[in-house]
Amino acid sequence: MVTADKSSSPGGDHAREPSFYTSQKGLKSWLFTLDHKRLGMMYLVSTMIFFFVGGVAALSLRTELLTPELDVFSATTYNKLFTVHGAVMVFLVIIPSVPGAMGNFLLPLMLGAKDVAFPRLNLLSFYIYTLGAVFFLITLLTGSLDTGWTFYTPYSTSTGTAVISATFGAFILGFSSILTGLNFLVTVHKMRAPGLTWNRLPLFVWAIYSTAVIQILATPVLAITLMLLIIERTLNIGIFDPAMGGDPVLFQHFFWFYSHPAVYIMILPGFGIISELVAVHSRKHIFGYKAIALSSVAIAIISFLVWGHHMFVSGQSELAGVVFSFLTFAVAVPTAIKVFSWVATLYKGSIEFNTPMLYALAFLFTFTIGGLTGVFLGALSVDIHLHDTYFVVAHFHYVMMGGTIIAFIGGIHHWWGKMTGRMFNETHGRWGCLLVFIGFNVTFFSQFLVGQQGMPRRYATYVPQFQNIHVISTIGSYILGVGLLWTAIYLLRSLKSGAQASDNPYGGASLEWITQSPPIEHNFHGQPRVDTDPYNFPQIDRSGGMDHH
Amino acid sequence: MSSAHGQGPKAPHAFMQHHYNTPEQQAGAAKLGMWVFLATEVLMFSGLFLAYFIVRMFYPDMVLGSHELLSKTMGGINTVVLLTSSFTMAMAVRAAQVGNTPAILRNLYLTIGCALIFMVVKYFEYTGKFAHGIFPGKYFDYARAAEYAHEHGHELVGLPHIFFGIYFCMTGLHGVHVLVGIGVMVWLVFRAKRGHFGPQYFTPVENVGLYWHIVDLVWIFLFPLLYLVK
Amino acid sequence: MTIKTFFHGKPIEDAIECHEHVSPMSTYVTVLLALFVLTGLTYAVSFADLGPASLWVAMGVATLKASLVCMFFMHLKYDERYHVFVFLSTIIFVTIFFLFTIFDMQSRDRLNEEQGTFFRIEQGRDWSEAQRGNKAEADAAIKAAADAKAGAVPTPAMADAKAGAMADPKADAKSAAPGKP
Repeated sequence: MVTADKSSSPGGDHAREPSFYTSQKGLKSWLFTLDHKRLGMMYLVSTMIFFFVGGVAALSLRTELLTPELDVFSATTYNKLFTVHGAVMVFLVIIPSVPGAMGNFLLPLMLGAKDVAFPRLNLLSFYIYTLGAVFFLITLLTGSLDTGWTFYTPYSTSTGTAVISATFGAFILGFSSILTGLNFLVTVHKMRAPGLTWNRLPLFVWAIYSTAVIQILATPVLAITLMLLIIERTLNIGIFDPAMGGDPVLFQHFFWFYSHPAVYIMILPGFGIISELVAVHSRKHIFGYKAIALSSVAIAIISFLVWGHHMFVSGQSELAGVVFSFLTFAVAVPTAIKVFSWVATLYKGSIEFNTPMLYALAFLFTFTIGGLTGVFLGALSVDIHLHDTYFVVAHFHYVMMGGTIIAFIGGIHHWWGKMTGRMFNETHGRWGCLLVFIGFNVTFFSQFLVGQQGMPRRYATYVPQFQNIHVISTIGSYILGVGLLWTAIYLLRSLKSGAQASDNPYGGASLEWITQSPPIEHNFHGQPRVDTDPYNFPQIDRSGGMDHH
Repeated sequence: MSSAHGQGPKAPHAFMQHHYNTPEQQAGAAKLGMWVFLATEVLMFSGLFLAYFIVRMFYPDMVLGSHELLSKTMGGINTVVLLTSSFTMAMAVRAAQVGNTPAILRNLYLTIGCALIFMVVKYFEYTGKFAHGIFPGKYFDYARAAEYAHEHGHELVGLPHIFFGIYFCMTGLHGVHVLVGIGVMVWLVFRAKRGHFGPQYFTPVENVGLYWHIVDLVWIFLFPLLYLVK
Repeated sequence: MTIKTFFHGKPIEDAIECHEHVSPMSTYVTVLLALFVLTGLTYAVSFADLGPASLWVAMGVATLKASLVCMFFMHLKYDERYHVFVFLSTIIFVTIFFLFTIFDMQSRDRLNEEQGTFFRIEQGRDWSEAQRGNKAEADAAIKAAADAKAGAVPTPAMADAKAGAMADPKADAKSAAPGKP
């Protein structure tokens, strides 16, 4: 049970107090807001805009791949398009999506705090993100980056395209990520409500915490790597550039020391969302709370030991390849602990097949495929065959799209009432989820097959025997696009015509559900107190917030 | 932003922010935040140190040959200056803890002074190198640099432009940190003059102090690696 | 004023009091003197010919100096244990970064030398030797190398998975010229 401080809630009914949307008015109150909820919504809107941009690029790529020849774009345009798609999706969508949007909105609420530890830093972080994004996007859209999102040397030090401004954009974005991580880590440490011990933290908080650890430890290395790349390109100092006596594989070590942990920056928050969704919508205490919480931390740590599996055929030594391959399998252990715990939570729960739960189940299916194919690719000998084929493309889409994005969409549905004060149409939601799930699997499962047959990634053309599978994949991508568009439409419509959301529409037991929907400016009336863990469901009254009734 | 929601006791000083419950919570958050920031700084510099070690591993003779061109004396002077500044910074923090504003100011001036001396010495080192064609990367003028080496009884080996590339990157990034440090210390001076700091509130002084010490720490490793090691 | 205030979830009595540790002046002075002595020591040792040990000695002294600064100037000795943890885990992750990369670089070079697929030295030397000759030649060498890379079509030797220091030529060539059948 969670209780709010009675001393400051006389009468007990403040359900109709102005929400954080209406408590202050005008454009200025948004542009200079220090409110974590407003910043969360601003992140949500901006990541969704970039998601649309990246999605359009993806659909264009798939359209080009309908036939084996070049017909829609030139090869150069194709290169730029996949760079736009990859770079936008990684740097502007997936990395900031869950921490930036959901994390900002929910973290202080779940902790029973009035705000994050450093609200001004939070605002700064948002503006750095915007600045970096604009910089990055202008570079990409004016048509001048063709290195892929990895900026491998020596191509990136010699290509004629605008590597410097793009890397500078990524450099700026990195700072936003570092500051967000720092802010969240300190928030979790210092801003918890009385009684909210580490063992009572919602698992979403644990996931955001682990993500913050990775952001803090890995992103600075990316910053220095990109800086060295810029210096290498302008001055040829000979660290990465072989023509000057440097070593391009060293660049890959630097890059992947950040970028492998970064894939866990992308997936860990998704894990957090799924833990909440699975527990709340099966009305059952989460199975293996400590195991899930600590496995997040374990993944965060192990993620720093495996980066070499991106470099099995890059001229890394065979010995290092063997070591990295072995360590890669270790990541599967904490990840499997999570998946098993979620499945065990479902077991004998009273599962409600509403939209958030359907997304959670979709996640379990797609992420398990993504994770298991990751084990194939982590196996040194298998990877020599599958490296740089569509198998890899399918694998990381199953993890990033089928994992993070599906969890993110599920989370948006789960907290939609809390964030906007409106409920979406449940029937529309289920259809949307079905379309997304089918479209996603048709698109990417086929890519496992074509990749296994040897179709290399990043090519605009291919041999005719792959055409059937490519056509199937492209059709799937259109279904996926329709599903996402459909989802966007009914969610946006619900803002106008949706039913009023109650304080606690799904009977959640963590702190964000005791405040009104949408929350008031200072989140809570008085200081919330906690004396139990956030998955004790039977005591919860389904009809609304428990402190008001 | 009303403070009516604050549940703690009345705010004990003017800089208590509304979303914290106690000044201890605020100070603890700021300090943890600073330590985490220092962690990111260490990791950022670690990239350059790793690049140095790799280059050293690839071209041991080149690194040893090239580092002879750096002035041990100038590096040594800068080390002493920076260590002293670290000491005066620690004294400034201590003065803030005991609420002695004149001592805070005195020590901050001394620290800023040391930082400026450091940058001046750095300036002479850099221009001294540039004068002999020692530039980073492709601008390295081998002929002039070799002549300069001969004058000092040394021989250039291999690919010295890499060593000096790394040298300029490492000391350059460190120099940028010194400049930033000077900036925030000037800000502290202004605040200290207004009497903002005392036993109840000295977080900014303490955090700038931590930052300054990490700048010192980086130099403690840079100095032997670039100037001294054989 | 009976409202309890909380810190780290525990009630505390006097929220306004400063709980910081104030070290005596003598500690700071002693540490500073120790730092000077250690600096003098590294400086002196740098003139002695210790061979490969000199790196370890220098790093050891530097680490000692660094820990003095951390413990006394940065108050880590009296600070919250969690700050020590943050700092030490940073060092651990830096070590991971260093160890794996150096491990790969060392073992790779050995293996590449065995197989005669060692590119880096030769390419860098081209430029360097041209530099020693004259500047025009040097620029030509840079340009030639850049052109060779920009238009690179993977030669069979490079496309071979164990091609050594040329980073992932397959991937780069693909991004460079994927349109070509």
